Amino acid sequence: MTTLEQRTHYFVGHFNAMASHCEVLIDTYNKNLAQQITDVVAHEVTRIEHKYSRYRDSSLLQRINRGGTVQVDSETAQLLDYANQLFQLSEGRFDITSGVLRRAWHFDGSSNIPSKNDVKALLPFIGWDKVMWNTHAPQIKLAKGMEIDFGGIGKEYAADRAAYSVLALLTSQSSIVTDNTAQNTSVLINLGGDLSVTGPRTNGEGWQVGIGATLPPQKGAQTGPPPVGTLHPSSPPSFTVTHGGIATSGDAHRFLEKDGVRYSHVIDPRTGWPVVGAPASVTVHADTCTDAGMLSTLALLHGPDAEDFLQAQDVPFWCLK
Amino acid sequence: MSSLKPSQPPPPKILGNIRRQLTAATCTLLTCTSHASGLIASGDNWKIDSALLLYAERDRVLLAEGVLHLSKEIDDDEYINTRIVTDVLTGSSPNGAVPSNTPQTFTNPSGNSTYTEPANKTPLNHTFKDFRNAVNVEWGAPLTRDLRGTLGGNISREYDYLSTGISASLSQDLNQHNTTLSLGGSWNEDISNPVGGVPVGFTVMPSAPAIKALSGSDANKTIKELLLGFTQVINRRSLLQLNYSRGQGDGYLTDPYKIISVLSNDGSGNLRTINPYIYENRPRQRIYNSVYLKSVYQFNTPLLHENVLNMSYRYFWDDWGVQSDTVDMRLRFDLEGGHYLQPHFRYYQQGAADFYRQTLIDGEEITLDYASADYRLGRFTTKTIGLKYGYEFFNGAEINFRVEFINQNGKDRRQDAVGLLRNQKLFPDNEALLLQGGLSLDSDMIIEYVARIYHKLF
Repeated sequence: MTTLEQRTHYFVGHFNAMASHCEVLIDTYNKNLAQQITDVVAHEVTRIEHKYSRYRDSSLLQRINRGGTVQVDSETAQLLDYANQLFQLSEGRFDITSGVLRRAWHFDGSSNIPSKNDVKALLPFIGWDKVMWNTHAPQIKLAKGMEIDFGGIGKEYAADRAAYSVLALLTSQSSIVTDNTAQNTSVLINLGGDLSVTGPRTNGEGWQVGIGATLPPQKGAQTGPPPVGTLHPSSPPSFTVTHGGIATSGDAHRFLEKDGVRYSHVIDPRTGWPVVGAPASVTVHADTCTDAGMLSTLALLHGPDAEDFLQAQDVPFWCLK
Repeated sequence: MSSLKPSQPPPPKILGNIRRQLTAATCTLLTCTSHASGLIASGDNWKIDSALLLYAERDRVLLAEGVLHLSKEIDDDEYINTRIVTDVLTGSSPNGAVPSNTPQTFTNPSGNSTYTEPANKTPLNHTFKDFRNAVNVEWGAPLTRDLRGTLGGNISREYDYLSTGISASLSQDLNQHNTTLSLGGSWNEDISNPVGGVPVGFTVMPSAPAIKALSGSDANKTIKELLLGFTQVINRRSLLQLNYSRGQGDGYLTDPYKIISVLSNDGSGNLRTINPYIYENRPRQRIYNSVYLKSVYQFNTPLLHENVLNMSYRYFWDDWGVQSDTVDMRLRFDLEGGHYLQPHFRYYQQGAADFYRQTLIDGEEITLDYASADYRLGRFTTKTIGLKYGYEFFNGAEINFRVEFINQNGKDRRQDAVGLLRNQKLFPDNEALLLQGGLSLDSDMIIEYVARIYHKLF
C-alpha cells in the first residue's frame, strides 16, 4: 500500500515495510512516473522482507532455521557468500548466526543483565564457521539450535536492490515516458534511515539529508549546499547526497544499564557480550547503502575505537556519543 | 630517558582499511554475477571420523575393525587425509576342500599339527587369526585454478603379509567446474610371508608332521592400476560419474593356504586314497578392468522432499575369466531435527574364473596349468540389505549406526560334483551380519569438551 505526496520540486512516495516508515523521493514532475517508481520500490522491499523475515514461518530464512539441508536460490546464495566474506573480513565480528543471543539479551533500558552462564550456554550455537554452507550446491545446513538472520544487512540490501530496480525501470521505460530526461531521474530511497540514491538530481545537486540528532560533523564529513530536499529538516547536521548510500547503526533508546555500565544493544558475537564504550549511533556514507551499513555496524563493534576504525576506512561519517 | 623513546605500537585491536574488499564483496552481492569462495569447512581444525565395525559370518570369520579418519584443510582446497585401520580377525575360513560323507583330517599350514572336520560340512581352517594395521595418507592441492593433484601413500601390515603402495592423481575442471576429468595411478608392492612357507602349486598337502615342497619362505607381487574418470554435473540436482580402471597384478597371486580335493578316478566321488589334497596354483599375472557408473540425484518432490539417491553400477572383467556386476543403491532420508535414515541395497554377481575347480580327478593336476577351489573365484551372488541411522548434533558432530545383512549363495560346477558329491553342497554358502557405530567430530569440539570437564572439576 503506497501513497504519493507532491512537494515543490519532487514527489515523495510513502509505504511501510521492514518495521519502518519508508520514503521514496523522486526528482520529477511526472506523477505517473513517481507512482510507478514508488510501487517498484515498495514491491522490491516487500519481496525481500517476505523472503528473509524472521517473523514469517513461510520465509526461506525460517525454512533454513528449521534445520536440515536446504537448497537455496542464487540470491540467497549471494547473500550467504556475502555473509561469509564479511565474517572473514571482520574477523568474526559480523556473524549472521549471532541472533541466537536475543534469547538472553533484552535491551529494554532496564538493568536486567543475563548471567554469565546464560550467555555462555548460547555460545555453542553461534559461529558462522560452524554452518555447513556449500556455495556450489548451493546448500546450507544449520546445526541443531543454530539460526541465521539477515537483520544486519537486510534493510541496507533492500535499499540498494530497490535502487537497482528503479534504474532498471527507468532504463526500460525511457522510450514510453514522454519526458526523455526520465532516464536520469534521481531517486532517493529511505528505509527507516537507511538510504540509497540512484544518482544526482536534475539540477546537478544532491538530496539534502539530515541525521536525526545534533552533533558536529567529524573529520572527513562533507558539508553540502543549502537544503534542496530534507528528510529531517529540523535536525541538523545535514549533508548532500548525490550517489551511494547512507546507513546508521545504533539506537540511543536500546540499551541496558547496570552498576554504572551502559550496555549498548550491539553484541560482539565472539563473546556474547555487548560492546561497551561505543558511540550511541554511527552514520556512514559509502558507495552503497550495504557498504555504509556494514561499516557503521563494524564501527560500533569496535566500541571506543569506533572512530579510529572509521577514519581508517576513509569515508564520511558521524558519531553520536 | 626511556620515556622519550618511541614506544612499541600496541597490537592492532581494530581492523585496518577493509573498504576496498568490502566494496568488492558488496558489488558481487548487488549485481549477482559471480560466486565467491567454496565450501566452508571448519578452519584450522582436524575433522575426525571414527568407526567401530563388527562383521560376523555364521560359524566362520569374526572381524572387529576400528577406523580413524583424520582430515584437515591446510589452505584453500589443500588438504591432508589420514586413515588408520586396525583389524582383528578370528574364526574359520573354508580351506578349499569339498565336504564329504566322512570326517576329513587336514594338516595345519605350519605342518606341525592336524585338524579334523566333521562329515557333510564345508571343511574350515580354524587357525585363521590375524591382526592387521593399515595407514593411508593422502595430500591434495590445487595446482592451477582448474587443476588439482593428489599424492598418497599406504602401508598395511599383517603378521604374514606386508603391503606398501603409492598413488597419485590429477583432475581437471572444465566447463565452469561442471565437468571434471581425472587421471590416477597407483603402485603396490606386497610381500607374503605365509606360515609354513610358500607351497609349490599342485604339490600335495603332506600329513603332519611333514615337510611340504616350498618355493621359498616369502613371495612378492606387484599391483599397478590406472584410472580414468569423468564427472559431469547434469544440473543442480544430479551428477553423473563414469570411471574406467585397468589394473595388472604380477607375481605370487596364489593363496598359500588354499587346497583342492582330488577325487579317485572311479566316478564314486570318493577322495583318492593317497594324498587327497593338493595346493592350488594360479597364474602369475592378472589383468583386470572395471567400468563404474554412478549417479547422485537429489529429489524435490512432496513425498521424497530433497532427499538424495545414490546409485552405482560396476562391471568388472579380467583375463582369468572372472566377470562381475555390482549394483548399489543408497537413499538418504533426512528427518526432522538432525536425524536421518539411509537404507542400502547391494547386489553382486560373479562368474567363475576359467581355472576354478571345486574338485580335481586323480591325475588331472598333471594336465592342468592352473586350478583353484577358492570360493572367491567361483560363481556366486551376494545380496546386502542394510540400514544406517545418523544423528547430527549441534555444531556438526555426527553419530551413526549401521546394520547390514549379507547373503552369499554359490552355484556348484556340475562337472565337479561327481558320484557321492551330488548329495553335497560344494560351494560354501554364507550369511553375515555387519554392525557399525561411527562418530564424526571436529578437534575443536574435543578441546571444548575437555575444557568444559576441566572447568567442572577444578
